Formats: sequence, C-alpha cells, structure tokens
Amino acid sequence: MANVLIDGLKERISNAIKINQSIGILLPSSNYTDLLRAMFEYMHSTPEVAWVYVTVTRPYDTLAKQYEFILDAKNIRFIDCISRAAGISTPHPNCVYVESPTMLEKLTLEMMNMFKEVDESTNKYLVIDSLSNLIIYNDANIVTEFFYHIVNRTRARDIHTISLAIEEEGLEKHLNRLIYLNDKILKVRDSFI
Amino acid sequence: MQEEESLMTESGLCKTGIEELDIQLGGGIPTGSTVLVVGSSGSGKTTLCMQFLINGATKGERCVFFTITEPLFKLTKNMEGFNFYDKKLIESGMVTLIDLRIISERLGLDTEKYTVEDASALLDILRDIADELNAKRLVIDSITALCYRLQTPEMIRDFIFKLGSSLAAMKCTTLLTSEVPPMTFQYSQYGIEEFISDGIMFLGDFERKGDLIRTFQLVKMRGAAHSRTKSAMSISAENGIELAPLLGSRE
Repeated sequence: MANVLIDGLKERISNAIKINQSIGILLPSSNYTDLLRAMFEYMHSTPEVAWVYVTVTRPYDTLAKQYEFILDAKNIRFIDCISRAAGISTPHPNCVYVESPTMLEKLTLEMMNMFKEVDESTNKYLVIDSLSNLIIYNDANIVTEFFYHIVNRTRARDIHTISLAIEEEGLEKHLNRLIYLNDKILKVRDSFI
Repeated sequence: MQEEESLMTESGLCKTGIEELDIQLGGGIPTGSTVLVVGSSGSGKTTLCMQFLINGATKGERCVFFTITEPLFKLTKNMEGFNFYDKKLIESGMVTLIDLRIISERLGLDTEKYTVEDASALLDILRDIADELNAKRLVIDSITALCYRLQTPEMIRDFIFKLGSSLAAMKCTTLLTSEVPPMTFQYSQYGIEEFISDGIMFLGDFERKGDLIRTFQLVKMRGAAHSRTKSAMSISAENGIELAPLLGSRE
C-alpha cells in the first residue's frame, strides 16, 4: 500500500514539475512521511537537476539516517533551520545550518547563495519543508511576506519552487493564503492517488 | 562625449564590493566622502570596514586601516576567520594596518588627552601616511576613541572637518566607525561627528521571538540617490557582510 502511495505521489510530483514553475503541496500529516520518501526518491532520480531542500520539520541528521541515499547525492543540498536551535550542528558538506527558523532573512540569503554556485544552464529547484512549520515559529504575516519574496526572487532567477504545507487545525486560513501564491496546487488525499 | 560622461560617473563612485550595499548606494559611495559607520559593540562595524578595504585592495586600490580600539594582532586574528580576508594583501602592502596608539606614543603625545597641537600633529601624520601610500580607501576604527582624546567639541569638529577635506582632495574615501550604546538611535557619542560626515551607515538590531536580528540602514549619503530602507544584515565567515530585505519592517 505504501509503495503504491509513494509511486502515485512521485508521478504526481513529476507531472506537476514538468508543467509549472512553482508548486504547492497541501497534505494531511498522515501522508507526510510517504511524501518525503517520494520527494527524496524523485530528487535522487534527477541528478541533472540542482535541488536545495529547506528543512524546518526534521533535522538534517534525522533525514540522512532515514534516507541514506541523500548523503552522497551531489545534486541535493540542504538548509537546516531547526538543528542549531536544538543544539545539534554536526557539520556536513551537503548542509548549511541557520541558527533559528525565525531567521528568515538569513534563510533567504543562504538559499540564494546556494543557487549562485549552480551553473546557469542547470535546472534549479527549491523545496520548502514546510510552510506550516514556518508559521509555528513565526508570525503568519512575516511568513507570508517571506514567501512573497521567495516566490518573486526565484521566479526572476528561473528557480522552481515546491513548498509543502501540512494541514493543521487553526492554520488553514494562513496556509490557504500562502499556498495559492504558487502556480499549481497539489492536494494530497489517499483516495486521489 | 556620452562615453566620457559615463566613465566620469563610474569613476566618481567607490564601490564597497558588498553587492546589496552598492545597489542601495546607487552604485557606490561618492569618491572622497567621509562616512560614519555607526553601531554598538559587536554590530559588525569593523568587519564592514575591513571588507570595504579588502574589496578595494583586490581591485588594485591602496588602503589604510587605523585602529585605536584593539591591538593589530587581535584585529588580524579576528579577520582570519573570514573568507574575504586575504593575508597576502596585508603582506604586499596593499592594505596597511596601523595602530594609532603606537603612532601617538612615537610622536610623544599624551595618549589620554590631546592638546590642540597634539591634534594638529596627529592630523598631519594621518594625512602624510594617506598621501605617501596614495591611499584610496581609509578607515579609522574608531573615531569615538579618537574624539575621546580631543578635549572640546570645537576640537572634534575641526579635526574631522580637516581630515575629511584633506582626504577628499586625495580622492580617498574614508569610513569612521562610531560607537554608540546598544538599542539606541543616536549616531555618535559627541553629537558632532554626524554633522561633519558626508554619510551615515547605521548598524543596529532588533529582537524577533527572542533572536537578535542584525539590521543595516543607510541614513545619509551626500551626492547619492540612495535607499533609506532598513535591511537585515548577516555576517558569515563565507560571505562576510550581506544584506537582505527586512521582513516585518512595515509593522
């Protein structure tokens, strides 16, 4: 069942990426782990693409232990916004640590700096995991302003964005406002896959 | 003719080499300006100034850094952590580091309080050094510590005015660091420095959810159509000073 789900998600992500510049993925928390596996497998299967993965949900160390294949992937780089605040900061060449998820300006700079190192002709993708977690740590209006900046900056530089939003009670109003800034929305429901 | 004009405009600006700052300045600091870099302890004044000098030296401009607040070995040790810092530029003499206290001692000046004659002698030596080295960028870190030794507001005004005028005539762009208490909105200790300077860069910070966010604001820059928007400022070993739009600044 899980494999069917992951394959279905991979296919939907793959189709959406081909068509659009920015994609918002809205999903229930029960599907989060499956989506993560689908995302990483998809990223790993596209070595010609440069990926920058921003994690506000799980520390990089945890992700690397869970999905070992990302450790050697030369096309995937990480920005970890939560480990430092939790006192974890194992240095890794694939990962840059931001002191706190409230340091949104620093996060913006790190994202853009990572893409500056990528050849102009290479396809570039930014994954934000997740908008809902950014709202937990920050004022919702600031996250909206941040996301506006990111969407505009990345569009101007031909960087595609994929932003995840985990449905949570009380956050719907903010998430809807944010997610609709994207060109395409994927709403993940078990029955749709 | 058009080409000549554009070259003149180009040569009239001193690029800091900090990309976002040069954008805010409309290209760079007008050459020959004296700019006050204001901030409390740890706000990044020295780093910004050193990055300004190193970027200039990399382009072939001779630079001088006068320190009065910390010994040279401490200054270089702190700077070695930054990727932009190139020791070879110091060794080759493109960037000259000078401890102003040692100069004062050699001149036989009272290191605590300067008389009018002392101030005049010091001014002459600063001008001579800049002239001899053909310096195009100069930093005094800090003007506050220097002003402390000048005994009256008139002496401070006279000193900064004469220094600025002489260096402007040499087309040397000067940054003077100004120390202010944290979380205050003032530009100098003595309330004089900002009126004689051509520009003011204000390095501050504010608290967001318990984190201190560094900020940067270009308050004044004579002769430049500059931005006055407050930015977030980052200091990192990899990139030195960087600026980004400050979120929530309209609240």
